[in-house]
Order: sequence, then C-alpha cells, then structure tokens
Amino acid sequence: MATAISFQPQWTLPMPKDAANGVSERDHVIAAQKGSEPAFAELVRLHHRRAYAVARAIVLSHEDAEDAVQDGFLHAFRALDRFHSDQPFGAWLNRIVANAALDLVRRRKVRDADELPETVAMPFRDPGEADELRTKLTKALTHLSDRQRSVIVLHDVEGFTHGEIGSMLGIPEGTARSDLHHARAALRRLLKDVRSNS
Amino acid sequence: MSDHLKLHDEGDEQITNGLRQLYAAPSGDAYWRDLEARILSRLTEPEVIAWWDELDRWVRPALVAAAILLFATGVAMIRSYQAERESAYEAMLTPTSLPVETAVRPMRHGPDAAFRFLMSKPRQ
Repeated sequence: MATAISFQPQWTLPMPKDAANGVSERDHVIAAQKGSEPAFAELVRLHHRRAYAVARAIVLSHEDAEDAVQDGFLHAFRALDRFHSDQPFGAWLNRIVANAALDLVRRRKVRDADELPETVAMPFRDPGEADELRTKLTKALTHLSDRQRSVIVLHDVEGFTHGEIGSMLGIPEGTARSDLHHARAALRRLLKDVRSNS
Repeated sequence: MSDHLKLHDEGDEQITNGLRQLYAAPSGDAYWRDLEARILSRLTEPEVIAWWDELDRWVRPALVAAAILLFATGVAMIRSYQAERESAYEAMLTPTSLPVETAVRPMRHGPDAAFRFLMSKPRQ
C-alpha cells in the first residue's frame, strides 16, 4: 500500500523570526550586507544544519561535508552584496553550498582517484553497529553515479523537491526526476534480497 | 504533491530509513556550536590561495581563450584561402594589357565573297 510522507524543507517556510527579539531573517541579511558580523553569525546559526545536509548529500564523507559548508558560507559572505534580500536566503545559500560541494568532489576525484570507491557514502560514526542493510546499502550506493546518489539523498532523505534539487545541482528538473527514478530502481534491484526478507 | 516522497512498499521504506541512518547529521548541540565557530573563524582568516587552486581557477578561462584563438585562426585561414582563390579567378578573367594580335585573313574575291555578303545582311 502506498504511503506518502511529505517533508517541508526548512527554508521554504516563511522567513524565520528570532523568537527572542522579533528580528526576521531578512533583517539579519540586510544587517549582514551592511557589514554586521553578528548578523551574519545569526544567519550561520539559522542555516548551518541545513547547509550540512545539502553538502553531505553531495560529497562522500562527513569531513568533506564540513569543508564544503565552511567554503559555502565563506563564498556567501563574500557575495552577500550581490544577494537580493527579498529572496529566500536559504535557497541562495544552499545553491552556493551545493556548488562548493560539487567543486570539492571534482577536486577530490582528480587528487584521490584511487581512494574514492572505498570512501563512498561511509557513515562518519558508529562503524561498529553496521547491520546487514547498512552494509549492503553502502555497497549499493557505490553502483550509483555521484549525481544519482546526491539526488536520491536530497529528495528521499532531505525532502527537497525536484526543482530545488535541479537548481542546486545545476541540472534541469526533468533530469533530477529521471535520476531519482533510476537511483531508486537501481537500489531496489541491488537490495532485492534485503527487501524480500522484510 | 508529486514532489513529496512516496514510499511504495515496506522494502522501499526500509531503504529510505537506511539512507536516513547513513546520512544522519551529527546530533548534539556541542558539535553544531563547534562547526558554527569554525565557519565564523574562516570568515576572519586572510584569504590564502594555493597555487593549484589558482591554476584551477584559470584553467577554464584559458581553455575558452584557446578555443577562441583556434576559431579565429581557422576563420582567418579560410578567409585568406578564399581571397587567394578569388584573386586567382579574377586574374584569369581580367584582360591582359598585352597587345592582342588579330588574325587577318586575306579578303577573298570571287563568287564566294558576293554570296557571303548577301548572307550576312539581316533579313527584313
């Protein structure tokens, strides 16, 4: 029986208000554009978890995700004067973080070509508690292309829409949709025995 | 609604749950405070550009410039070849300034000449 679970990405919600002093995200953006570091720090506090999730879906390890988040915020900080404050800051930031993550993946591929297959989608913690599904899932993910893996994680784990994913990864919405379809089909095929045991 | 996650059966749900565990973000406020601090400290660091990053940054513009140069060279070569061909063709068609010797046949008299004269007259 089909079940539908909907995720509401944090940054599609109305601009968050700081409960303590009633300052909106837009106010923080405007203040940060005027050079206020505390205002930018507040934006970092509001968005770094989501930014981490975006980066983690694209890169291959927890450490790379941290690097991509830091690079992304740094680029955003430097490009803040080009941001239109009437647009959602989170969407803009996520695109920058995704670009930083994609850049990191490209550089890693050039430098560590031999090590990559071993590090694909490795969990950053709890290596001891790997159960059968986790082990097989980790292995199955290595059979997906980088983009398919990113798309399925951004959609099924993080709840982004095809359009949002397309915008972040720089691909058409239809391509994101097709990547998701193929990634799911591949995982179903590769994990058939695990699924039939359930 | 079509964009929302649809779980078709229990197996798919199991895979999705597995993915969520695999990609779970670190828990604990201490971790996030530390990451926040690291992000903010990066903002105040002076920008240090490694030579390979700088090289990486110039690779794309250099490739574009090389492609443009190659294209321009190709166009220039084609144009010069065409111009050469045209000038050679024109040279063939242009009358030369050398004196042209016309062959003058001696006038022949007799019955043939009268006949030719009559035939060359336009008909009324």
